[in-house]
Formats: sequence, structure tokens, C-alpha cells
Amino acid sequence: MKAPTKTPDWNVLGLLPAHLIMLLTLIIPIGIIIVVSFSTRGPYGGFEYVFTTAPYKQLLFNEGWTGELEFNPQYLIVVARTLVLSAVTTSICLLLSFPVAYFIALQRPAIKVLLIYLVTLPFWVSMIVRVYSWIIILGKDGVVEKTLRGLGLVDNMDSLLFGNTAMLLGLVYSYIPLMILPIFASIEKLDPALIEASHDLYGNRLTTLRRVILPLTRPGMIAGAILVFVPSLGAVLEPTLLGGGKTMMMGNLIQLQFGGARNWPLGAAIAIVLMAAVMVFLIFQGLRSMRTEGLERAA
Amino acid sequence: MTTKIAALAMAGAMSLAFSVPALAEGSLAIYAWADSISPEMVTKFEKETGIKVTVDAFSSNEDLLTKLQAGSSGYDIVTPSQHFVKIMIDSGLLEDFGASSMAAYSQVLPDWQKPWWDATGNHSIPLAFGNAGYTVNRDLYKGPVDSWKTYFEPPAELRGKIASLAQPDEVIPAAENYLGIKYCSEDPQEMKRVLDLLLAQKPFVAAYSSDNIENRIGSGEVAAHFWWDGNTMRLRRNDKANVEYAMPKEGLVGWLDSYVVPKGAANIENAKKFIDFMTQIDNATAQYNYYGHSSPVKIDESKALYNKENAPELFPTVPVKMGQACSPAAQELVTKVWTQLLQ
Repeated sequence: MKAPTKTPDWNVLGLLPAHLIMLLTLIIPIGIIIVVSFSTRGPYGGFEYVFTTAPYKQLLFNEGWTGELEFNPQYLIVVARTLVLSAVTTSICLLLSFPVAYFIALQRPAIKVLLIYLVTLPFWVSMIVRVYSWIIILGKDGVVEKTLRGLGLVDNMDSLLFGNTAMLLGLVYSYIPLMILPIFASIEKLDPALIEASHDLYGNRLTTLRRVILPLTRPGMIAGAILVFVPSLGAVLEPTLLGGGKTMMMGNLIQLQFGGARNWPLGAAIAIVLMAAVMVFLIFQGLRSMRTEGLERAA
Repeated sequence: MTTKIAALAMAGAMSLAFSVPALAEGSLAIYAWADSISPEMVTKFEKETGIKVTVDAFSSNEDLLTKLQAGSSGYDIVTPSQHFVKIMIDSGLLEDFGASSMAAYSQVLPDWQKPWWDATGNHSIPLAFGNAGYTVNRDLYKGPVDSWKTYFEPPAELRGKIASLAQPDEVIPAAENYLGIKYCSEDPQEMKRVLDLLLAQKPFVAAYSSDNIENRIGSGEVAAHFWWDGNTMRLRRNDKANVEYAMPKEGLVGWLDSYVVPKGAANIENAKKFIDFMTQIDNATAQYNYYGHSSPVKIDESKALYNKENAPELFPTVPVKMGQACSPAAQELVTKVWTQLLQ
């Protein structure tokens, strides 16, 4: 009997274009950012190839107004604020999306297609236009104010623009389709027989939701949470246009370092810290879902 | 806004290696402030010379500087403000295109020949000048506007109805004028006073934003906005908005934008042709009428749309102090003030 000859692994070659794109558009740029973050700043922006860890030290320690180096959490505050804002955005999106996705999944196929199409419709319009439209809705003499005044509910109202509420509204609006779609996909895959089985075993509606539906749709929720959380971290439009730019977010902070501050290495260092935080979060998530999957398989 | 996103995308990805390739002969790529170059004049230039012109817009000097520092930008003409011209010349980012021996140079008003930011006069030809101050909406605020005090330490009726810019570049010099501190101070104690002033103003500020200003001040979303002379004039004349440009006695913050040529530009001869064309007296007048900012080159007064009577914004009655190019140490303090203001 002839031993099976090892066929050459053509998969590697087949995937080469994908690897090349990853290398050119992801690995190399990240490498450049890392290099810049360890370089010395030029006097008027730019950078010089002189290795230093100063940008990372600058994240925590700054010269005070009297000239001595002191611990200054100003950048950490911005990072923390951005993380909290993104987490809140993600939670609101999750709470709103689940019922919506469930509702869509229960419709007749034709309606389902139409509703999914409607959910994705905003992506056809530029992000800037969509955020500006909220200025028109929330602004002075805007749609909301005119409606409320027309109904006689208010006489003279303060602007709804420029504040955390307007900013959150903008963020949730912008990113909620990214949450609805993966949750919808996982609800669609849910076998109705399992829900029936749960009821047969005297599980009431709440128990069924808690013990059957939520665990089985968790992958969709996690995917949605990542898709919303990550872009929220870098959001610039909503904080400046709707929030009024009164407090800095990570995106604005990085922009300031590359622009007015002329401190590219610090900007790069902040970007790296942001990226590292996201990666730790994703790896943690990945490990957790792997462990739960493993447990389920073992059970 | 799009340039902001572009800058951010760059900060994020630094895909600098893939810049625009050099353009072919018979073309000219201009990178200028949004709506700053008369499209009519561009069309006329294309017709006269057969050169194909593309005009892209940037929204801050910082964005422009970052783009040039990142390497071949693909542009033949860019239009930075005076202090950035100085920084760009000092950093070797600009071509010496022999500006002072061009026809355009003879059109430049004596005040603006060989200024401190281009001492040889060979790197730049001025395009427009003006100043930064603040604008009030007269439907909402009736009080005096003869001092920066109204803006930085606002009276009750302006509180919560003030807007500032998103960048420190002009706001901090204005605060320095008010406090009697020299621009680009390297004294931390002086800059601490600037920070204290801005922090005290912050509770009354509705937004720090450089976008969509016309709308915000014209519609009355805010009652006072940090802004520029010519823009206020255009909003008042063209949109009939009841706005007034303040004349603070402590001094406005002056700027002057110039045509310059980035190092390594592909179409230097076409760039020079365009600059000569734009400074011919009739074209310069049309450009002035379009842009609505003061002209640093000779124009035909009889055809100019704006004069002291109908455009007082362009003829300030208070001192105008030109913005300076700060040393790295001074710039560090500016950034520190701004970061702590918005942290």
C-alpha cells in the first residue's frame, strides 16, 4: 500500500493576497506608529530617529506650572472618560438592539428583508451628514424645539445641543446598526424547538429568556459589543459637533498632539496605549468565550 | 471636517508612504483654506492657460503643516498663515521660487513686502489678510463690544451663550492681548494666568468648535463666537444676519495667508503662472470681492465691493497684533494650557 503523499500546501499561496493586504495596511502602519512613539519629537512637529521612552513617561508625568516634574493624570482622565463613554454607548445599544433584532427575526421573510434593509440604510449616507442632521434636529429652532413649542409643551427651552446627552445620542444613533445586525444573525440561527423544549420543561418566559435565548445569542451580542465599543473609542465627530468639544476625548487628544501640540511621538504613544487597551479587552473576551464553549462541549 | 478626519486617519494609520503621485505636466494642485480661492478666477486661469487646476481645502494650519511634514503632499501651491510660513521655511518645507523677482511681487503693497516671516521675500506672495476677534449676535446681546472683557469675562446675558474655537492657535493670543501678556510667552507663570482666565470662562462656554460657525452665531444658537473679520462681514451682508464684529481695545489677532510652494512640488512653473495671474489687478479685485478678506496686493478700488462704510469689519479701529511663530518651549506651554482647559 502506498503511503498518502503529502500534497503541497496551496492554501498558503491562495491566502497570500489576504496576508499581503494585512501586512501592508495593518502590520506595517502599526509598526510605524510604534517606531514614532519611541522617537524624539521635532521642534515643529515631525519626529527624529532618536530612541526615547519619554513619550510614554509623558503620559503620566508632566512639568507642573512651577517647573518640576509631577504626576499628572490629565491624559489618564481623558482615557478613562473615553472608556466610560464607550461602555455606556455599548450598553445602551445592547439594551435597545436586542428587542429590535428579536422583533425583526420574528417577521415574515419579505418584511424581514425590508427591515434589515432599513437598518442598514443610514450607512448609505456620509457620517458627517448624519451627525450634522442631529444639529438641525436638536439645535435652536430645530425639529424637536419647534414640535414641543407647537404642542404648547414649552415656551422657551435651552438648547439641547452641546452636552453629554446630545453626544451619547449621536454615538448610539451612529453605531446601533452595528449592534442590531450581529444580534439579529444569532437570533435567526436560534432553533425554535429549543424554546419549545424549555416551555415543555416548565420553564416560564423569563427562565427561557435567561437560560436558553440569552446564552445562545451571546456570540452575536459580543460581536455587536465589539463592533460598537471599538469605533466609539475613536469617535471625534460626535464629541465635537454634538457634545460641543468641552471635554477632550481620546480622538481629539491624539488629533491635538499631531496638530497644534506638534508632538507626534506623544500622539503615537496615546494611540498605542488605546490600541493595547482594546487588544487586552478583546483577548480577554476571546479567552472567556473559548472557555465557556469548552465547558459546554465538555458538559 | 473632512481634513480633520484625514488627519486622524493619518494619526491612526500613518499611511504616509502612499501619497498622491506627482501630477503630469499641464496641471496645478492647490491646497487652500475652504472657499478661499475664487472658482471664477480658477476657471478663467484654466481657459487662458490650458492648465488643469484642482483645489482641495484644509481647515487648519496645523493640518497643513502635518501634511507637509509627512512628505510629498502632491500639491504645488498651499496657503498657510504667516507664522506657519515662518515655521515651514525654517523646517525646509518650502521652495525658494524667487518670488521677489516675479511680476506678482510688484503688486504687493509695501507693508507686506519682505515681512518677518519671509525676510528674503522669495518664498511667499501674500493672498489675503485679516484678523481674529469675536462676533456677537445683536438680536441676543445689546451690550458693549469694545473689550475682550465681554468675551472672556462675560456679563450675565452672555453666559452659556458663548462659543470658542477648537484650536488654541488664535484663542490664546487673544487672551494674551486681554491680559497684556506678549504672544508666545515662555514664562509658565504668565501662561498660568491665561489658563486661569480660560478656566473661569469655561462654565459660560457652550462649545469649543471651529466648524459650522456661521450657523451657530447666525441662528442665535450662541450669542457670541470667536471668529474672523471677513467671515462676519459676509454673514452680515449675504445672509442679512444681525451680527456685529467686536473691536476690542486690547487688540485683535492678525493673520496673513500667503501662496507658497511646498518643497519638491511637481509644477513650480504653473504655480508661478497662477500666482502672477491672481495678483493682476483685475483678478485680484475679483478675488477680493469673492473672498471678502482684505487684499495685500493692489486692487482696483473703483470695482471693489467693500469699503469702510459698507464693510467696517475689514477696517479695524483698534490695534491688530500679528500672530507669531512660537518657540517649541512656548508652544509646549500653549498646549499645556489647552490640554488642562479641556482635560
